[in-house]
Amino acid sequence: MIANLLDGIVLGLQFGLLAAGLTLVYGLGGVLNLAYGQMAVISATTIVLAMDAGMPVFPAIALGLAAGGLLGLIFDLTILRPVYQRQGEARVLLSLLLTLGLAFVIDGYLSWKYPTKALTLRIGGGPIEIIGVRMVRGAVVASIITVVVLGVLLFFFRKTTLGRAVRSVIEDEEGARLVGVDPRRIMRLILVMTGVLAALVAVTRSLVVPVSTTAGFELTVSAMIVTVVGGLGSVAGAVLAGIVLGIISTVAASTVGTVLSLVILLVAAAVTILIRPSGLLGVRE
Amino acid sequence: MLEVTGITAGYQGGDVIRDVGFRVEPGEAVMIIGSNGAGKTTLFRTVLGLLPPSTGTVKLQGEDLVGISTHRIARKGIAFVPAERRLFPRMTAEENLALGAYPGRPDTATLEGVFDLFPRLSERRRQRAGTMSGGEQQMLAVGRALMSRPRLLILDEPTTGLAPKLAAEAYRALEVLRERGLTVLVAEQQVPLALAFSNRGYVLENGSISKAGTSAELAGDPDVRRAYLGVS
Repeated sequence: MIANLLDGIVLGLQFGLLAAGLTLVYGLGGVLNLAYGQMAVISATTIVLAMDAGMPVFPAIALGLAAGGLLGLIFDLTILRPVYQRQGEARVLLSLLLTLGLAFVIDGYLSWKYPTKALTLRIGGGPIEIIGVRMVRGAVVASIITVVVLGVLLFFFRKTTLGRAVRSVIEDEEGARLVGVDPRRIMRLILVMTGVLAALVAVTRSLVVPVSTTAGFELTVSAMIVTVVGGLGSVAGAVLAGIVLGIISTVAASTVGTVLSLVILLVAAAVTILIRPSGLLGVRE
Repeated sequence: MLEVTGITAGYQGGDVIRDVGFRVEPGEAVMIIGSNGAGKTTLFRTVLGLLPPSTGTVKLQGEDLVGISTHRIARKGIAFVPAERRLFPRMTAEENLALGAYPGRPDTATLEGVFDLFPRLSERRRQRAGTMSGGEQQMLAVGRALMSRPRLLILDEPTTGLAPKLAAEAYRALEVLRERGLTVLVAEQQVPLALAFSNRGYVLENGSISKAGTSAELAGDPDVRRAYLGVS
């Protein structure tokens, strides 16, 4: 049971990191990025190809993170341009359609070109014992990285001028403009940031399980569920929901099997939405 | 300081303001009075670049602001306090004030000045803006505007939703700011308060300026007295 709980927290932290990227972009401008999982996969594939070409692991990871950030910038400058020109529901819908289309294109291309590639990062050494439970070393390292990244994110949003500016746009875009914040510049920054986050998800996940070129949609769907449960626009909510859902998911998987665990996960998400439509820590509209 | 000429603007349903012009000189307190729906908010939104005018110019110290985005106008030294206040509800009072100084860091002396003017904000600095009372939120909105050390402070109906005592207090604070040399432009429905505060004023009626003059002249005008002061 405790083993399940710890595994759940490991998975949950990754869920949280995954959802943070999606929730920020949505909270900022009502833009739904359904190609988010594919951003992670492109970064993963970049790292694999770089290592295949003989690049050492850390430079390859750095290259993967840079690829994620660059991808975010490209999204901002290209397919999201027509999205920014629309308001409200039309904006959500257009972003959903465009990024979903792009996700199919990326998915199709990667699974055709690199069908067997998958990113697996292994860390040597035996399991680590935590409160009497033997944990895979990779999972522990992945969790430590995730906690550090989430900590840096929370610090950025709470304590820095730029981070507060990001929150101001999420809370009241017009108010933000009136104090001199440029919402477009903030959006660009956040897209680059979430690209790097997606790459970090790929890296930490590959320490636990292989990240294949077709993992994109699964990642996006997990991120969506966690985002909705956590509340749109709330990083803290994403982390909280991630951990709760991660624990539910692993406990269910070990008791009733993987297929049913997904059903249980979706039911848990649906129940949360029914009880609290704005999510655990969402901004009430 | 601010010169608006021939502004026509509105929404899809049609023009709300037509051929509106006014000016504000440095150090002045100018009011724009008018009833609900006269176009005061539309006029201010146009000045701030939140709404593009179909014709007309808005000049800040000679520079045309039409077509410039709102965040740039804000950084040029115009601080606007909208009637809805537009605070950041889940941030603390202190964080709201800090954002007023964006993109810079909040300046300690300016912050002390705001706390001097509104001691209540100092007591509530760790409280979330969304949980504050209407009066406190108004103080916070004005305080946030002051943090940018603006050249011109524009307020849209600062007494909205405030009890008479708080409304009078709000104007006392504006009085202090004016005495310190700040240029203030205010739109108001509560005409007696605005008349007592301002040097000059304009009457906005159905989207056009119908009268202009010093506050003393407007206070003596029979039409103004009848329409806005309840004197027949």
